[in-house]
Amino acid sequence: MSETYDFLFKFLVIGSAGTGKSCLLHQFIENKFKQDSNHTIGVEFGSRVVNVGGKTVKLQIWDTAGQERFRSVTRSYYRGAAGALLVYDITSRETYNALTNWLTDARTLASPNIVIILCGNKKDLDADREVTFLEASRFAQENELMFLETSALTGENVEEGFLKCARTILNKIESGELDPERMGSGIQYGDASLRQLRQPRGSAAQNKQQCNC
Amino acid sequence: MMERAMEQLNVQLNRLTRSLRRARTVELPEDNETAVYTLMPMVMADQHRSVSELLLNSKFDVNYAFGRVKRSLLHIAANCGSVECLVLLLKRGANPNYQDISGCTPLHLAARNGQKKCMGRLLEYNADVNICNNEGLTAIHWLAVNGRTELLHDLVQHVSNVDVEDAMGQTALHVACQNGHKTTVLCLLDSGADINRPNVSGATPLYFACSHGQRDTAQILLLRGAKYLPDKNGVTPLDLCVQGGYGETCEILIQHHGRLFQTLIQMTQNDDLKENMLRQVLEHVSQQNDSNYQRILTSLAEVATTNGHKLLSLSSNYEAQMKSLLRIVRLFCHVFRLGPSSPNTGIDLGYNGNKTPRSQVFKPLELLWHSLDEWLVLISTELDRKCGDTDSSPGSDIASLILKQREADPSIVADTPDLLSSSLDPETPEAYVDGQDVISMTANRLSAVIQAFYMCCSCQMPQGMTSPRFIEFVCKQDEVLKCFVTRNPKIIFNHFHFLLECPELMSRFMHIIKGQPFKDRCEWFYEHLLAGQPDSDMVHRPVSENDILLIHRESIFRSSCEVVSKFTNEKLKQGIAVRFHGEEGMGQGVVREWFDILSNEIINPDYALFTQSADGTTFQPNSNSSVNPDHLNYFRFAGQILGLALYHRQLVNIYFTRSFYKHILGIPVNYQDVSSIDPEYAKNLQWILDNDISDLGLELTFSVETDVFGAMEEVPLKPGGSGIQVTQDNKDEYVQLVTELRMTRAIQPQINAFLQGFHTFIPPSLIQLFDEYELELLLSGMPEIDVLDWKRNTEYTSGFDLEEPVIQWFWEVVDGLTQEERVLLLQFVTGSSRVPHGGFAFLMGGSGLQKFTIAAVPYTSNLLPTSSTCINMLKLPEYPSKDVLRDRLLVALHCGSYGYTMA
Repeated sequence: MSETYDFLFKFLVIGSAGTGKSCLLHQFIENKFKQDSNHTIGVEFGSRVVNVGGKTVKLQIWDTAGQERFRSVTRSYYRGAAGALLVYDITSRETYNALTNWLTDARTLASPNIVIILCGNKKDLDADREVTFLEASRFAQENELMFLETSALTGENVEEGFLKCARTILNKIESGELDPERMGSGIQYGDASLRQLRQPRGSAAQNKQQCNC
Repeated sequence: MMERAMEQLNVQLNRLTRSLRRARTVELPEDNETAVYTLMPMVMADQHRSVSELLLNSKFDVNYAFGRVKRSLLHIAANCGSVECLVLLLKRGANPNYQDISGCTPLHLAARNGQKKCMGRLLEYNADVNICNNEGLTAIHWLAVNGRTELLHDLVQHVSNVDVEDAMGQTALHVACQNGHKTTVLCLLDSGADINRPNVSGATPLYFACSHGQRDTAQILLLRGAKYLPDKNGVTPLDLCVQGGYGETCEILIQHHGRLFQTLIQMTQNDDLKENMLRQVLEHVSQQNDSNYQRILTSLAEVATTNGHKLLSLSSNYEAQMKSLLRIVRLFCHVFRLGPSSPNTGIDLGYNGNKTPRSQVFKPLELLWHSLDEWLVLISTELDRKCGDTDSSPGSDIASLILKQREADPSIVADTPDLLSSSLDPETPEAYVDGQDVISMTANRLSAVIQAFYMCCSCQMPQGMTSPRFIEFVCKQDEVLKCFVTRNPKIIFNHFHFLLECPELMSRFMHIIKGQPFKDRCEWFYEHLLAGQPDSDMVHRPVSENDILLIHRESIFRSSCEVVSKFTNEKLKQGIAVRFHGEEGMGQGVVREWFDILSNEIINPDYALFTQSADGTTFQPNSNSSVNPDHLNYFRFAGQILGLALYHRQLVNIYFTRSFYKHILGIPVNYQDVSSIDPEYAKNLQWILDNDISDLGLELTFSVETDVFGAMEEVPLKPGGSGIQVTQDNKDEYVQLVTELRMTRAIQPQINAFLQGFHTFIPPSLIQLFDEYELELLLSGMPEIDVLDWKRNTEYTSGFDLEEPVIQWFWEVVDGLTQEERVLLLQFVTGSSRVPHGGFAFLMGGSGLQKFTIAAVPYTSNLLPTSSTCINMLKLPEYPSKDVLRDRLLVALHCGSYGYTMA
């Protein structure tokens, strides 16, 4: 039988090539770091059910390719996303500089209510840092983004990034700012609210044969 | 003393007369066991006077239990509804709560059989309604099972706990719900039954109602506030409704719990559920009202879109995701085609603000088609880049080398790019390899999405028409699609089904398709031909006698023609069963024989329908067949029979000329085809073409003389042809026209009629997958019988094996048979004189492949071999010598290969 959850959120992971988007997704879903990581071709998919503020939420996560040549393909995935992780690499100023472009894409192509969290990835490589925390948090503030520095290698802040984003969306639903019923909101109801599992799982149901003689 | 004796005599006499008058004993035997069997039939017939009479003055124990189940007479009375006897027994002290071996009281039995009066009386005599039998069932369970509401109403007042559980934790309400007894359910609920009570596996009354699709009962429960609860395994009432295809019950559930609608839609992704059940449910729910219709379609479109995108993610499971997508799209298209419940409001009402136009439901899918477009553009860019790189071919070799190394050992990657990047320009090797990967990794996935796109496009079109949008799409993506199928031709067979439905698109891919193995095309052909035909099993027993083709053997052609014309094409497609008049045999073998003999009859010269080719081995329509005024109808029939045979993978006993196969395929004929009917004439045509005819003085014009039953007629090859001279310059046209006249024009009406019949079973677009040689193979099988192949594909049972002398002799004898005798032997055992293409390994039996089998039979003098054609089995007696074997076999072949009896 299908999974039980209250809501389903569609998430995007965007950012320049080589910033570690797929590793973040991998770390979040499997709690593992992917060593031999290749360039993502087009768009990848993963999902996980999490518990946020007493609600079970299924995160349906679309991990996009950062390479320019896939840009047209990945753009077609923006619609109907409820949240996005915008990723740059703290050891590469180039990826930080490209953030404006990614942000423009997200703001124009996705729903206007999309919740975006900025992730400065590769926090573990502090020695090679080219972008300071302060600079990035200022950028986040100016653009009304949440901000975190993460490490897909150690797993630091990865879970927090996704959960923070999910929690913000859930708050918006509860405050009425977001309407899950609206098309393209990137949010769907699950049927968990209807199911009231009473007892632990037991043996298979057996319908007793009644005698009709 | 005397008086006393007289009195006794009188009593005895009295007894005697009474006994004689009633034809039975009037005194009960002393012993209970004998007595009870005297009483039982009387109790059953409620002969209470007799019973009362017998019981009077007798010492019989009314509670005496007897028989296998140890029931008392009170049980019997309650069971049979013998009220008077029941009362009598109760009065005489019978225990109303006596339990038989299964724990049933008389009240249980009365309740089970709905004996209202008996129940009433038992209750008067203080029968206990709360007694459970060994399975925990009480009287109210029995009443609830059978929906005896009236009785239940009476009984329930005496019941202390209406929720009493049986051994499975089931209450009366459970069983009433399961069986959908509405009034019973209401009565129980009014009596305070717990509406949400679970049984041992957690199943509630609503769960039971849903498990059997009891729509009204579910409605009652939900109106009375039943909770929507899953069982202990998490199976919900909705799951049960969908599994059973109970659309109406689903609808009720959704009415009460709006969110179940989304759950239902999500269930389309669940691979465990049967598609036809889901289809039934969605069909029903969508037909309730227009808003349901729109909602289902829009939601399905959304799910399909998400699924399609998942399919395009390379880490997803291709097989599972592809199947899921195609399934959802199939469901979507099915519901869309049904149209909204009120068709008038479904027509485009875009101007009316409240109504959405019907085609709006496709909107969510546009996102997927957009992604598909973007992907194809990307692939096309990759292709262009690859073309630009073709000069630096050593580069691609190195690149693929790196790819291999990388797969073998990831650690190398770190060094190699640096090493090689200097020697490669302009692309780095990694990007290049990546580019190749993109195409090969996505081709299958994109093709599946294209298939879904085609399905969605065509469900908006009238049947048989291709959507202009899709045609435009294919034309635009021509290059990419061709690249896909050249790299992986399987894609055509797996996903490009649209080709079979759009001849205009097929022509673009024909050269690639024709290059694929015959076997693959065959599979594709049949897969498509039989699509939507649930039961393609030929030998499934027909439901009624009316479904059997009853054929007269002596007038096989005419009677077959009559019988077949009475059947609809749909029926014939579902399967054929043939029986010959006056014979018992039926099954695969008889069907095969019918096709075999019938096809022989079709080419029988007496009907003048077909003429032989020059060498006498092949046939084509007779240009003079009009001697038979009904000839075109017969040609249509011949076409039908051949089409039907092909449809059911049966072989026929006709070989046609090359040119006629070409006609069936719609391929133009050429002058070389003439040689099959007139080799000499073909040589002459060849000669005209090869030599300069300017100065020969042939005095040919564009006309020919034809012999029509002895009278010569001049036929012009083109308008005014008899006045146009054939010259060196126009001789090519002359040869072509004369070929068409001989091969086509002369028999055009016959060909047309034949094809009309043929196409009722085989669509023209499908048959063109084959060339004329393959068509012959498909229709008629292999002409030669290969004994070695035969021997290789033969099995032995009942004690025989290859080493057995009898078997050795058998094959030696077969080796020595003529080709015709081998055909006879094959027909004797399999019912058909043909070997299927592919050889004996593909011999078909009643249920799929069935090899030629030889079984041992004990030998008695003069015993002949016999056969079971359905299972291709030869029953060979264990002959004492090779000569006897040969002798008996030949006798059987020459005398006994026709006709069936049940052995």
